[in-house]
Amino acid sequence: MKAKVNGPKKVRGLSWLFLIILIFSVFGVIVSTVSNKVTREMSNSAIQNLSESLDLIQSTIEAILRSQSDFQSLIAREVAGSEDPEAYIRGYQRNQAMVKLSLILAGETEGISNTGERFTEEELNFSSGGSVSDMPMSQSYVNYMGTWAYTLKCPVEREGELIGTLYAEYIYDAIDRSLPDGFYNKQASLYIMDAQSERFVLKPKGMGQRSAGHLNLDDFYRANDIQDTKIREEITECLKSGEDVLFYHSIRSADALNYIWAVSDGTLFLVGYVPLEAIQQEGKTVNQNIWIVVVSLLISFFLCVALYHRNRRQQEKLRKKQEEERQLYNQQLSEALKAAQIASESKTTFLSNMSHDIRTPMNAVLGFTTLLSRDAENPSKVREYTKKITASGQHLLSLINDILDISKIESGKVVLNLEPFTLSDVIASADSIIQPMAKSKHQTFHTKVTGIRHEYLIGDETRLNQIMINLLSNAVKYTPEKGNIWFRVIGLKQRSSQYEHIRFEVEDNGYGMTQEYLKTIFDAFTRAENSTTNKVQGTGLGMAITKSIVELMGGTIEVTSEVNKGSLFQVELELRIQEETSDRRIWEEHGISRILSVVGTLNDKENIPALMENTGVEVVTVEQEEAFRRLKNDESFQMVLVDWEECGFQTAKAIRSALPDPVVLLLLSEFDASGMEEAMQMPHTDALTKPFFVSALRSKMEELWSRNNSQPEAEAAGSLEGMHFLAAEDNEINAEILTELLDLEGAACEIAVNGRLALERFQNSEPGEFDVILMDVQMPVMNGHEATRAIRALEREDAKRIPIIAMTANAFAEDEKAALDAGMDSHVPKPLNMETLKKAIGHLNWRKENP
Amino acid sequence: MKGMKQFLAACLAAAVLLYLAACESEKDPTNLISRTEGQKRVVNLFSPMEKTNPDAENVARTAADLTVSMAEEKLGVTVDYWTYTAEDYQDRTYDEVALDRARSSMDDLYLLNPDVILALGSEGQLEDLSGLESVKNLREIIRVANTVDGKLVAIPQEVVAYGLFLNVDLFKKYQLSLPQTPEEFLECCRVFRQNGIETPIGANRWWLETFVLAQAYADLYNGGNTQAEIDALNSGEAKYSDYMRPGFEFLQTLIDNGYVDAEKALVSEAIEGEGPDFLAGKTPIVMAYWGAANTETAYGKTDFEMQVIGFPSSRGQMPVMPMTGWAVSANAEHKEDAMQVMNVITSDEALQLFSETNRVISPSQNVKVDCVPALKPLNDRIEEGEYVLGSNAGMNVEQWGNTCLIVRKLLEGASVEECMAEFDALQAAALKKQK
Repeated sequence: MKAKVNGPKKVRGLSWLFLIILIFSVFGVIVSTVSNKVTREMSNSAIQNLSESLDLIQSTIEAILRSQSDFQSLIAREVAGSEDPEAYIRGYQRNQAMVKLSLILAGETEGISNTGERFTEEELNFSSGGSVSDMPMSQSYVNYMGTWAYTLKCPVEREGELIGTLYAEYIYDAIDRSLPDGFYNKQASLYIMDAQSERFVLKPKGMGQRSAGHLNLDDFYRANDIQDTKIREEITECLKSGEDVLFYHSIRSADALNYIWAVSDGTLFLVGYVPLEAIQQEGKTVNQNIWIVVVSLLISFFLCVALYHRNRRQQEKLRKKQEEERQLYNQQLSEALKAAQIASESKTTFLSNMSHDIRTPMNAVLGFTTLLSRDAENPSKVREYTKKITASGQHLLSLINDILDISKIESGKVVLNLEPFTLSDVIASADSIIQPMAKSKHQTFHTKVTGIRHEYLIGDETRLNQIMINLLSNAVKYTPEKGNIWFRVIGLKQRSSQYEHIRFEVEDNGYGMTQEYLKTIFDAFTRAENSTTNKVQGTGLGMAITKSIVELMGGTIEVTSEVNKGSLFQVELELRIQEETSDRRIWEEHGISRILSVVGTLNDKENIPALMENTGVEVVTVEQEEAFRRLKNDESFQMVLVDWEECGFQTAKAIRSALPDPVVLLLLSEFDASGMEEAMQMPHTDALTKPFFVSALRSKMEELWSRNNSQPEAEAAGSLEGMHFLAAEDNEINAEILTELLDLEGAACEIAVNGRLALERFQNSEPGEFDVILMDVQMPVMNGHEATRAIRALEREDAKRIPIIAMTANAFAEDEKAALDAGMDSHVPKPLNMETLKKAIGHLNWRKENP
Repeated sequence: MKGMKQFLAACLAAAVLLYLAACESEKDPTNLISRTEGQKRVVNLFSPMEKTNPDAENVARTAADLTVSMAEEKLGVTVDYWTYTAEDYQDRTYDEVALDRARSSMDDLYLLNPDVILALGSEGQLEDLSGLESVKNLREIIRVANTVDGKLVAIPQEVVAYGLFLNVDLFKKYQLSLPQTPEEFLECCRVFRQNGIETPIGANRWWLETFVLAQAYADLYNGGNTQAEIDALNSGEAKYSDYMRPGFEFLQTLIDNGYVDAEKALVSEAIEGEGPDFLAGKTPIVMAYWGAANTETAYGKTDFEMQVIGFPSSRGQMPVMPMTGWAVSANAEHKEDAMQVMNVITSDEALQLFSETNRVISPSQNVKVDCVPALKPLNDRIEEGEYVLGSNAGMNVEQWGNTCLIVRKLLEGASVEECMAEFDALQAAALKKQK
């Protein structure tokens, strides 16, 4: 099948290949034809070029020889004209060309030379028949100067009568002087050869290389390896006939034109060779250029092909990428649509849930108020109805709080309020809230702290509480009666020395969740729906809020669960460690340097010394027996911790009796420890709730020390009786409720319907007329913040110090912060709870007394 | 897309630039011929060599050529080579042509054999070179051997040492030890001939004189009384013929016994004549100069073990060292430049290059070069100071050339006595000239 698909592609590829090969072949043929043609033409022009050069040299030599013969004729006439020809000869001074002049008078065999020697013709060989302008020329010979020479002879005639023969000797050096210096850029070789002896008689300067053969024609053949008999025979013929020879023959592997060129009808010959490269210098360049052009064209062609392919590949890649993106967008769109549909469905479900959930308590409130108006005369019924109305109202409030919370988180408006806090407070707060809930369902609530090194931390305590309460209250909610709930706080390995890495675990053995539900547990507007949990009321927003807050704190939350087995929530957070705590100083101030710890569990044995490490207090952890032994040995301890659950009353009592009076005995006990009343009666003895925390210990000790100093209860929720409030509240109903509630507490309240009126009222009041100002925040004309700022800015002695407490339905940390920033002293949420108000006022009073 | 556009724009710009560059062909109206070309400084050199084209490939340049190039480069002169090679033995010799040319002042620089140096020096044809910078580095013996009438007339580039080139394989084959004395040498020849080697000694018309000179002057140069003996010869108290006689008689014995083919030797050129037989292992003994052991075209590459030893004498193996030398014509046309060229080619730098190229003994006391193993026996003798000078300008009868010519007469059939008479005549002529 595959082969079938590839078949046509392969054939097409092959035909393309053949086509390209064909085009290149045609191209190659054209290029080589052009190249050959150029070479051929250049070869012809080389032959012509060399012939012309040799003709020029030949003509030059012949001209020299002719001028020599002409000059000799002139001298011959002068000799004929002189009275004593021999004297004329003797007096002749040699010149550069004519180095010897001799005369043999007619009828004699011996004559004289200008050198003074006797002269005979025997030394010369005129047998070759060579001549210049009809003057016989001798065979060349090495003369008395050690250089190659020849002699021309001419008759000396006086009045038509032969009186002798004049012999003039010429040296070839004279010819050399008239020839160019070098031949074809000195690459060519040139010799002048005597035709008869075939000796090389002159190598003009700058012409010829070593090994070119420099002795005679045979030497030339040998040196240049000219062995071809045919050409040698032809040369021999031409030497006889005085004709020129030009032939190709490689000299030392280089193509060369060799020549034997006749001068003066073959009396002399020019012999040598010229490398073709020397003649065709431009030819080589032309051919090179042709090939450069061809190669450049080929490179350009392949470059274009490569570019085209690259471009196509890029486009293909781009197209694929776009296709992928489109698919991705489509997928994302469909997912978004699906999500939107789900969200829409969730919200519809939520709304229907909410309408049900809100209607239920509302129905209860309205129903009970109807009943209340009917049974107004029956106090027991009134109490019952109001109790139910309160419960329904509180439930409704929590629903509304959750809805507001999640909407705020989702819109990103939540800001963490980072402040120093102690871990013990968080645990204690959770403990205090959850313990009663668990107890009411007969559940067992276990709290365990391990591995914590730092408990003074910085973070948003309120939000942290919210997380813990959410998880724990869910655990209580979704665990049947008599179930177990574990709350574990585990110190993990620190990733940075500045952060405490903590895992909070909430585990229960309750109903558990299905795997499907686990996937959506942290989504808003979901709620586990089944016959069992349907009994449980809630918005379904708690887990979404929890997860959002955890993530806001940079932490993680994970859950594992199994139906009917229980669930485990794990929250991991990194909380910044407070840089300095005054712990060490406090312990030192009160002289506490050594604590005896009689604790049972291994966990506490490790935990307590670890937590106390930074306080500078030494913790000696021992078993009961060891404790007694140590106390007997009068070892000095300033405090003793005893595990109540492990040791019991008797041991505590024994230890107490072994201790000197001022030493404090603290009984470490569970939240709901029983039977402690008697123990608490012992002097200098008190209880400390487990788990152990330094901060808790410190608070307890501070409490004890203050008690010892007979200081009054700091934050005792004071009575409001006799107090005079100024309240800024725009809502008439709320104002009425407030007035009534305060009236119940025996306090008077004056209402101003907006901030401005409150400001004016205070401005006009007598100093000390009002004890506290209660300030609503959202009001027309002037809001609470502006009013507070204005009051604080008044030029009154009490303007700065009169307590102003914010009342707001906005129960968030940032609202509290805004209130405090505006100059208010405290904050109570609406709907107003009298106990909360009392606490706030009590705290303010205490603070005023203990600045 | 933007990148592609930029790329295309860059390509276009490059193409335009290339096009502009390719089209640029404007010709300035300037004189294209260098005006200094006509003022070429030339020195004419006459030697047996032709000049090597420096650009020519596959042609090994001779050592002398390299030093001449060095001079051309340093001085900016052109050295034109003139040469002559005899076609055969009937032709005029290089020495004869050199004499004629020098006497006619045809050239500026000459490479001359010792006899020609002495002849031209005594005629006053050669310039005194003692003022040259390079002379300071010469070995003393070189200076002495080239001084004529108080003038240093020539300087060699190498100390030519002649020796016997032996086919050691053949000596071993016939269990012969390498000969020290004439008697031992004759015995070796006898054994070779007995074993079918008809002519044990390959000879040419030039170098047989080395046997004579080795025996003649072994004592004179190595006996510790050299100057006194030379003085006695120059004054006529002693006779050259008395010194020469044993060597000639020895040669006569070699000829008589057929150890040397006199007729062949007389028409043989150096190496060309006897070389092929020696290389083919037919002849166990030839004589040649030091450089022949380094040159592949001579005896640089043999199929057998070769050793070069001195000539047999009463004092053992004796190297014979004549001096070829470079000289400047006293009437040179370009004398100043020729002297400068001379100064460069005989400088330590040039001699180092020369000696390294040819692996020969340098005349400069500052230049030392290792020799090939075959030359070790000969080199050892030279290093020991045991050798005979083939030529000495301090003797009033020229030795190297004259002995060569008189040996040729012996080869032609003259008797030893006739040869001795020739020497006596030469000595008489010299004494007469002195007077």
